[in-house]
Amino acid sequence: MFDLKKYRKKSPWILHYNAGSCNGCDIEILAAMSPKYDLERFGVINTGNPKQSDVFLVTGPVTLRSRERLVELYTQMPEPKVVVAVGSCTCTGGVFRDMYNVEDGIDRYIPVDVYIPGCAASPELIIDGLVQALDILESKTKEMEYPYKLAKDVKVEDGVINRRDVARGVEDKDEED
Amino acid sequence: MTQVLLIILAPIIGGLLYGFERKLRARMQNRVGPPLLQPFYDTLKLMDKQAFLINPYHSILGIMHFFTLWVVVAFVILEENLLYIVFLHLLSAIFLILAGFSVRSIFSHIGANRELLSIIAYEPILILVAVGFFMSVGSFEIATIRENSSQLLSMFLLFLSFLLIIPVKLKKSPFDAVEAHQEIVGGVEIEFSGIFYEFLYMAKWLEYIFIFLLLSLFAGDNIALAISLFISVFLVLNLVDNATARIKMAHLIKIVLTLGLSLGLLNLIGLSYV
Repeated sequence: MFDLKKYRKKSPWILHYNAGSCNGCDIEILAAMSPKYDLERFGVINTGNPKQSDVFLVTGPVTLRSRERLVELYTQMPEPKVVVAVGSCTCTGGVFRDMYNVEDGIDRYIPVDVYIPGCAASPELIIDGLVQALDILESKTKEMEYPYKLAKDVKVEDGVINRRDVARGVEDKDEED
Repeated sequence: MTQVLLIILAPIIGGLLYGFERKLRARMQNRVGPPLLQPFYDTLKLMDKQAFLINPYHSILGIMHFFTLWVVVAFVILEENLLYIVFLHLLSAIFLILAGFSVRSIFSHIGANRELLSIIAYEPILILVAVGFFMSVGSFEIATIRENSSQLLSMFLLFLSFLLIIPVKLKKSPFDAVEAHQEIVGGVEIEFSGIFYEFLYMAKWLEYIFIFLLLSLFAGDNIALAISLFISVFLVLNLVDNATARIKMAHLIKIVLTLGLSLGLLNLIGLSYV
């Protein structure tokens, strides 16, 4: 029986999510997919469907409204998966750091495998980061695929499910565990 | 023996065709493009991925869609009755629609709805093509159609309307509103994941084989004509796919039904007077 693991590297399908970015990094991701840089030569498809993708490309500092979607999209992706943070805002919060409406980077909510710096990150850097992410994807073992809880329990208010504030931050986890 | 071998290899040939098409489309856009075996890498990767089970019927209907399509392709290769094949093919589409409606995702419902609407568009033309073959060679049997000489000239208008439904069936621009990649995220495919999505992915390859086998019927016993028809239609299909934008579902039905159906009926009236 041949090893199926090596084929993970050959067909990474991308899910791209904008967590409140200024669109600079999104444009650079689109540029990386365009004929000049041609990400598709690595087998990349921009699926837009979390249930069929392997690489989670996130741009933007996480705004208050986007963090629930961020965590939900992450949990909807099947294992094995990798998360790539594209741009300075996504890594640390960038110029928006310590503002009242942003969460200073996605690693407060989901585990990140590769950080790509730059404001905006250039297509060359994005491709480089993606190739590194593929190496991580290939080396993921079953233990690393073990899921851990990222979301709080959903609250029901007046018979209506309230999904707001279900995202569980890193600090919250430390308090409860 | 050759037929059995062809039936078993049908998904693999379809995968190669799909890989070649992705390469060709990339070259048309002046890109390098993925390797030729990319579809097989995708399936091997999907085997290893975690699969989410939404409900058992959803997954089983997806698998049934794939196997029914395989049976359809097998019947075309075994030279069975054309009318029977067209209706069996309808059954495979219905499995997919039921799968789309069996989950709660709204995109899945929209996709299934559009799949139904596209059946309204292409199914009459497939039946008209079968009736056209019956009127010109006197039988629905593919074996008889293959024994006769090429019917391309006497069924030229039907051939044109068949060309019109190829992009609908293979989900190509401008008639790809059924799948609508980023708009409704693949439609019925949305809730499939892991190994269950793989069956849908391979069903796409079988759809290629089915459509191009039907296309080869127009060439009759002339193999050189069949090959040249395949190459030219394949090139034109990808050229149109690259050059056009997606049109709305209502426009799709309007264009395919008015243009395709009237061309087909005109051809049938002409055939009945010959």
